[in-house]
Amino acid sequence: MLNVDVEADRRDFTVRAALDVADGERVALFGPSGAGKTTVLEVIAGLVEPRSGRVELGGRTLTSTGSPRVAVPPWERRVGLLRQDPGLFPHLSVLANLTYARSARSGRARGQAAGDELTEIASSLGLEGLLAAMPARLSGGQRHRVALGRLLLAHCDALLFDEPFASLDAALRRSLTGLVKDLSTQRSVPSVLVTHQLSDAQAFADRLLVMDAGAILQAGAPDQVVLRPAGRRVAELVGYLGFVPVPGAAHAAGVHPDRVLPGADPARGLVVTGNVTAARPSGAGWEADLLVGDASFTCRLPARLDGSQATVTLLDPPYFGPDGALVAPDSPARVTRG
Amino acid sequence: MITLITRISPGDLWSALTGPGNLDPLITSVESGGVTLAVLICVCTPLAWMMARDRLPFPRIWEAGVLCALLLPPLVIGLLLVFMVGPYTWIGSILDWLHQSATNTFLALVIAEVYESAPYYVLGAQAAFSGVDTRLEQQAGLLGDRPFTVFRRITLPLAAPGLAMSLAVAWARAIGAFGAVVIIAYHPFGIPMQIYTTLQETGLYTALPYALVLLVVALPLPLAAYVWSARAERRRRG
Repeated sequence: MLNVDVEADRRDFTVRAALDVADGERVALFGPSGAGKTTVLEVIAGLVEPRSGRVELGGRTLTSTGSPRVAVPPWERRVGLLRQDPGLFPHLSVLANLTYARSARSGRARGQAAGDELTEIASSLGLEGLLAAMPARLSGGQRHRVALGRLLLAHCDALLFDEPFASLDAALRRSLTGLVKDLSTQRSVPSVLVTHQLSDAQAFADRLLVMDAGAILQAGAPDQVVLRPAGRRVAELVGYLGFVPVPGAAHAAGVHPDRVLPGADPARGLVVTGNVTAARPSGAGWEADLLVGDASFTCRLPARLDGSQATVTLLDPPYFGPDGALVAPDSPARVTRG
Repeated sequence: MITLITRISPGDLWSALTGPGNLDPLITSVESGGVTLAVLICVCTPLAWMMARDRLPFPRIWEAGVLCALLLPPLVIGLLLVFMVGPYTWIGSILDWLHQSATNTFLALVIAEVYESAPYYVLGAQAAFSGVDTRLEQQAGLLGDRPFTVFRRITLPLAAPGLAMSLAVAWARAIGAFGAVVIIAYHPFGIPMQIYTTLQETGLYTALPYALVLLVVALPLPLAAYVWSARAERRRRG
């Protein structure tokens, strides 16, 4: 179990984070660049000293600013960190990189069991034929797999991932995220992923924490956070691209571009009619900008909208009050005209 | 090089190398150069690492100090060394108490060579250490290595090609040191002093063979460092 409750100073703001991650649980810390997500990981890893707070892992206090003050050094924390730059040691072969932690923690790599584990992990990561290669010879995906194997062979008590695959293409990122997810579950240790890609967070995590400007704004199951953001700022961060005022009410409906149907279907959500200000192809469908009153939003639809006016249904949208907080809708099928 | 080789006759070279005691300056230079390198490795390597990692108080002052030693003419360094380690200074008194002297002794020769060559090594080593990504050191720490082990397993091997080249340059500076040497260590003669005195006493043509000897003695280490650095770089590239 990983328990974190810390405040850490950054140049422009203070990061405040409180999270508990159970063994085998996968948590994603999601937010825009510069939100303070990496600082949280660095505090857990012992690379940054917090202004105040505690970090506990498996009953061990790693950091405490109280009395007595505790600051376990990084090399005694048994916390693994995988960053965007895989950080392979360029002067060591793939094999030496993989077994680095083992020789650091227990003298030299030895024993049949150690050899079996190495073979098993190298095989599961597709590295069997690369053990003698130098890191400079590897592709981006291979480097990340070696770094992941090194992390797994280190037998850490917690796994931290700081946007590990952000520089890779979408397909590779998806497959590696799936791999990390499976391996994290197998190891049954707390895992925390930091990312600004919502799709990565959703693919990895049991629980999503949305962070902005040093504060955790919402925590919950990924679906819950995306479908019911706690406020307008969270909604913006998870992809809501517009807010349509509801006539006769003080609140506004959040519009997620992927949760819009063409035509009117009041049983499934809020029906709005607006002026089409722009339309462009997007993937296999079309993307259109609609202007409803003073509010505009973007939606993705399977076909191009005909004419200058269009009616669409916002599927079960979240509603936000004037203060930006999530409110319960009093009438879910109101019709708004542009 | 070509001028040097074409101006030396085999007879002059032979007599320069075979005369009684003629190899003594060469031995003195190699010995003092070796001791100088040992001092640089033991004292200046940690200094360069601390400068590269901002671990020193007032880091700009340390950098300015190293740069001053580089910018000052070696002759001036020699004059300043007289005021620092000469017989009438407190360091000189301590040396005297230890029955040592930093004037016209082997110790003085080493001190002069250290001061002439250290800035070249420190600045080169600092650059070599700065080139090592600190995130790799952090990663090694997170994998269980203590700081000194991180230095031994990660920092040192990655900085080694740069350190070797800096050491080669420092070696060349040490073995060819003259300006500071002529002030505080006229004796015992190293090769540069031998060249100078031979030039004064018997002329240009008899001095030139010693220059060739200096070159032949000084060159292998830089060459080896260059070859080794290139090989290490090739190995790293796979």
